[in-house]
Amino acid sequence: MKIKTEMKWRADFALALAAALLLTLIPATGEAWQQGRAPAQPPTKPTGQEAPRAQPPVNKEILKVRLPRAKEATLKNGLRIIVLEGYNQLPTFTMQMVVLSGGLSDPPDRRGLANFTAALLREGTKTRTSREIADQLDSLGATLTTDAGLSSLTSSVTTSGLVKNFDRALDIFTDVIRNPSFPTDELEKYKTRTLAQLQLQRATPNFLSWERFNQAIYDEHPAGIVSPPLDSLQRVTSADFARFHSAHYLPNNAMLAVVGAVTLAEILPKIERVFGDWKSGAAPKTVIPPTPTQPATKIYMIDRPGSVQTGIVLGNLGVTRDDPDYFALQVMDKIVGGGPAARLYLNLRQAHGYTYGAYSQFNSWKFRGTWYAGADVRTEVTEGAMKEFLYELKRVRDEHVTPAELDSAMRALVGSFALSLEQPQTLLQNIITQKLYNLPADYWDTYPQKVAGISAEDVQRAAQKYVDLAHLQIVAIGDASKIRDVLAKYGTVEAYDSEGKLIKATDSK
Amino acid sequence: MREASKILTTLIVCVLLSVGAVAQQAPKVRIDFKETVLKNGLRVITAEDHQAPVVSLALTYNVGGANERKGRGEFAHLFEHLMFQGTQNVGPGEYSNLILNNGGIANATTGDDRTAYFETLPANQLELPLFLEADRLRGLSVTEGRLDKERNVVQEERRMRVLNQPYGRSDEVLTEMLYDNFAYKHGGMDSMEDINAASLEEIKEFFKTYYAPNNAVLVLVGDFKTDEAVALVKKYFEDIPRQPDPPAVDLSEPEQKAERRTTVEDALARAPQVSLGFKASRGNTPDLYALQILSAALGGGRSSRLYQKLVKEREIVNDISCSVDERSGPSALYITATLRPDKKTEETEAAIYEEIERVRREPLSDLEIEKAKNATTLAFISKIQTSLFRAIFISLYAGYFNDPNLINTWLDKTDAVTKEDVARVVEKYLRPTNRTVVITMPKAKAASTGTAGQ
Repeated sequence: MKIKTEMKWRADFALALAAALLLTLIPATGEAWQQGRAPAQPPTKPTGQEAPRAQPPVNKEILKVRLPRAKEATLKNGLRIIVLEGYNQLPTFTMQMVVLSGGLSDPPDRRGLANFTAALLREGTKTRTSREIADQLDSLGATLTTDAGLSSLTSSVTTSGLVKNFDRALDIFTDVIRNPSFPTDELEKYKTRTLAQLQLQRATPNFLSWERFNQAIYDEHPAGIVSPPLDSLQRVTSADFARFHSAHYLPNNAMLAVVGAVTLAEILPKIERVFGDWKSGAAPKTVIPPTPTQPATKIYMIDRPGSVQTGIVLGNLGVTRDDPDYFALQVMDKIVGGGPAARLYLNLRQAHGYTYGAYSQFNSWKFRGTWYAGADVRTEVTEGAMKEFLYELKRVRDEHVTPAELDSAMRALVGSFALSLEQPQTLLQNIITQKLYNLPADYWDTYPQKVAGISAEDVQRAAQKYVDLAHLQIVAIGDASKIRDVLAKYGTVEAYDSEGKLIKATDSK
Repeated sequence: MREASKILTTLIVCVLLSVGAVAQQAPKVRIDFKETVLKNGLRVITAEDHQAPVVSLALTYNVGGANERKGRGEFAHLFEHLMFQGTQNVGPGEYSNLILNNGGIANATTGDDRTAYFETLPANQLELPLFLEADRLRGLSVTEGRLDKERNVVQEERRMRVLNQPYGRSDEVLTEMLYDNFAYKHGGMDSMEDINAASLEEIKEFFKTYYAPNNAVLVLVGDFKTDEAVALVKKYFEDIPRQPDPPAVDLSEPEQKAERRTTVEDALARAPQVSLGFKASRGNTPDLYALQILSAALGGGRSSRLYQKLVKEREIVNDISCSVDERSGPSALYITATLRPDKKTEETEAAIYEEIERVRREPLSDLEIEKAKNATTLAFISKIQTSLFRAIFISLYAGYFNDPNLINTWLDKTDAVTKEDVARVVEKYLRPTNRTVVITMPKAKAASTGTAGQ
């Protein structure tokens, strides 16, 4: 299983290589050193005149790309199959079973059950031991991962491998999805491993602030917790898993999505052979709980002695995935904190040198997601960083973004579509998103027009609605002895320890 | 005009794989590329690839941490940051704006051996990254004010990645102990002070010495016509003057004669960690390929020996990994285990050594070798899925080993590894006397006063 231990910042910049992008709008001051080897263009005038600037050659046209179409089929038992055919020339495939029940289907006294069930799938089936599954997958050079979040709509099983081994990988994939046995000895091992993991992740600042932020925003809502409660983990039995599995892992409650060097015609008979006799049934409908009313602005300080930075996160409740405001919020997010060309980065990193990066991010689900901004800053500049964050949040509410900012955001969002054509998994996820959230069939084709249709007024309206300064939830993790007084200037401070426990006022100074 | 061109292969990425119990056939990657050397010495490699309307550029300079002097740690990295701070033609704010706001992404990375700058954009913007890279190779414009800001940013990057993370310093300490030669030895130890000490004069000198067309490799991969792309490269780069070749760095390491060991106290960690390093030969040698296979068999995947023994069977560690750090010069194999909070490091160390001893006594089985090769193959192929990473790897292979075609032969070299090769490298490198051990212990809470990483 995978317990998420990190708040996900901009994935497109997390290229697994050290980041080092810088830029500024602030004019250079002080004495400039210029190291010149040869003028870009011969100066037209002699000394005393500045050499003319060479213009960067930008192609003003946004490259139009045609997104590939998926082919679809449905088995008699209701299993929907989606295939993105022959994608790129690498002889590999990725196959994902998306079960339409996840953490949102957990029984209230068994939070994490969907997550545990997914994790245990590969720890034993009716005919294979955990070790055999590992051996066989590794022999094929295939990977198999499972996932179900604590408040997710779905559970998923994903396998990737070489097309040559498609049949054998499909065999194991089918077995873990249809015939898991949840052996008790593996369950015990899983429990001790997970208990240790839950403890270890409390060493990571990002996990702690993510936990606190979600708690602040969602409270009792299922999204209020981001890792399984210990008592729940200790309580669950193999019988609970079997029950969850038989109630939810049903062909008419699932989608099978495949991308790679395969065709629907060639794999459909194979899928039919292994999943054709999977019995359909009535899966309990997922209830989407309402998100809570937001409390007044508060600062949640997490004391992490030894910290040399303060990790700051500020945010609010955002939108559901199908909300008409989605595009306005997306453009606003891009302009405020969507990368190294955005306001937060320019301000906190480029102009002030407070941080390695300051970004904003939003997510959206069947229930309302969040919009949040954040950065890790050195302890001494916690106050300056808070001031600049609040300045930028207020600014986007109070003033129209400039036509240049709007145009740049649009060009960035639409232009980068070409890059996604090299990432088949991204394209497949887009198709799954469109289906899960019942978005229009032409959703991704009309995406550029929708982004281009957002005006400065739309952005401001989204900011005023979703950057709610009266109900802003602020998390700051760091050395409490050094940041408490600074934070208190910005509102009521509530202190927590790294176990996630509230520190009573009498315990602290 | 001095120009060397060669056509290497004829197919675009075409991978033929066969994996199974019988009839093993080596997987193939074939990327057709053309090599051109401009008269100023810039090595240009172009690989047309029309799968997606995208172009990617990687420009690798033959300079990195290994070129730094005493008292100037992180200098190459600090310099890399300054490469984004503007020229006569492009203001300090414009470089990234231009790439990002035209649908692209851009970044850079500094290692001990090389520094790489890279961009990927929609195909109709090919000219833009060429202009920008040539422009900043031609000349930078840096102020004291900007330099000071970037000192802060680089220090903040270090705090975020290293000093504020559990086990953050442990990896650095391991490298600092494992190497003897200053080139690779100087990790992060004094780097916060060193970053503050760097002067504008030194920045200028560094630029002049190392950022020269004859000290770089430019790789373009993507949806373009080779002739047109090469013509554009010449248009922007060819009149940038050549510089004297920079001095070579001595990377040689004396043989290690005895185990090295230390303990790091970590206020941020919650469980002990055992980190082992074994110094090895330089990269792209048969020994290194054998170590890659050994590493996969020991620690790659859930069926690997260390995972099965320490995580599943004995339940003493929460996580164990094995990796090979392949370098231009002496490389190393690393094993890192994070313990269950209540377990002992002595027990963990002993269990790892037992597994090493077992692999020395009983060589890997055919199946284990096969599994290791399959995993390594899939990982390699997945890594080069996008044009950007194909460009980056070609440029790094050219820079590290003077062998851009390694992207096409890497899998063959891995496939050529035999059981005997693995046995040989276990004997040669995984000896106790060639071992460096760093034990990380959580620092007692009461003692923590917020001084981590000082």
